[in-house]
Amino acid sequence: MKEILENIRLFFVGALDMQGKAHGHIENEASDTMDQFMLLCFGDLLGIDLPTTYYALELLPYLGEDLVKWNMRMSDKKSIWEEKAGKLDIDP
Amino acid sequence: MGKIIFFGGKGGVGKTSCSTAFALSKARSGLKTLLVSTDPAHSISDLFHCQIEHKITQLEANLFGVEVNPERESNAYITKIRKNLHSIMSPIIMEELNKQLDAASVSPGTHESALFDKMIEIIIDTSKDFDYIVFDTAPTGHTLRLLSLPEMLGAWMDSLIAKRKKTLTFKSMLSKDKGIKDPIIEILSKRRNNLTLARKIMIDGENLQFIFVLNAEKMPIEETKKAVKMLRSYGIKVTSLVVNKILPNENSDDFWKDKKVKETRYLKIIEEEIPVDNLYQIPLFKFDMDEYTINEMAEYF
Ligand SMILES: Nc1ncnc2c1ncn2[C@@H]1O[C@H](COP(=O)(O)OP(=O)(O)O)[C@@H](O)[C@H]1O
Ligand SMILES: [Mg+2]
Repeated sequence: MKEILENIRLFFVGALDMQGKAHGHIENEASDTMDQFMLLCFGDLLGIDLPTTYYALELLPYLGEDLVKWNMRMSDKKSIWEEKAGKLDIDP
Repeated sequence: MGKIIFFGGKGGVGKTSCSTAFALSKARSGLKTLLVSTDPAHSISDLFHCQIEHKITQLEANLFGVEVNPERESNAYITKIRKNLHSIMSPIIMEELNKQLDAASVSPGTHESALFDKMIEIIIDTSKDFDYIVFDTAPTGHTLRLLSLPEMLGAWMDSLIAKRKKTLTFKSMLSKDKGIKDPIIEILSKRRNNLTLARKIMIDGENLQFIFVLNAEKMPIEETKKAVKMLRSYGIKVTSLVVNKILPNENSDDFWKDKKVKETRYLKIIEEEIPVDNLYQIPLFKFDMDEYTINEMAEYF
């Protein structure tokens, strides 16, 4: 139990800290913010045990397209890594 | 503010019976009491010979009852979400989201959360009007985590609201439409406020108590001990234990005599290892709970 709680806490801390400083373009930052938002809502799709999933369901009608895009990108981890790597190259 | 009592314990130990008897006893001592039954199979309607259902119904001078069906609550929630989905145009996305909702609607976690949500609603709506609000079950699993760490849920919502605002800012930077009301922020803020309010009533007001029901046997004692310890480590009060279904003292049969000796030993262990303010001991009655037995049981509280 303790361990699970700790993991969740770390997850939240991680999600909050993911906003690094090195962002160049608004589009990138916007999509990063959106990614974090989605991860907080629907992390259980990726196997992260979240006690808040029930509350997130209510947001589905207003997130539809973004969620599906996000889910597709997340299931294709390779593209995510490429995307992040690409960003590291451009950003100062 | 009324006291909020959750009855915890494994299925079948006697939570519904004991919480009903407890509520009866409080009501008869002059305290205005609301009994919330969450068990569709063992409804308090049967015990009180009336149709209680989902409206608060008066049962006695000071006793009121309401029934909550977790499955119905979660179905209503999911149905409402499905209705709102209509604004989404793309059929592919609709299908994807419906799949998501199908999965959620059969998940036990969803029923649990729906029940928790309803509990919070009842607490917010009625805690001013009653001296006692008694639930015949207690949050477990995910919902217990939410209850014991409400700040976690708060952080989750705050973080979502902040990120949503940021996303909206970016969007309005990229496009021209500004200052639209955002349903996501509205939903999250409403939830945030409700939970803050419930937390205020339950935790800050120190009105929340768990009462555990158990039988005098080895495994239940171990489990209860763990549960009590955990709740206390989160600052949630466990004031009472109910040891239910205690065997009669006089037993002619050797089998029952032997059982009784063991039971006495376990009772002593309970007393020593799980210290509480009140340790209620309820005998095993000859009959299942009915309108007569429940009155008999109420005498013990
Ligand atoms: N002290 C008791 N003596 C006899 N039968 C009991 C006693 N307490 C509970 N029961 C019976 O045990 C069964 C389970 O009780 P219930 O209160 O529904 O448990 P729970 O709500 O924990 O699942 C019911 O049939 C009830 O009538
Ligand atoms: Mg029950």
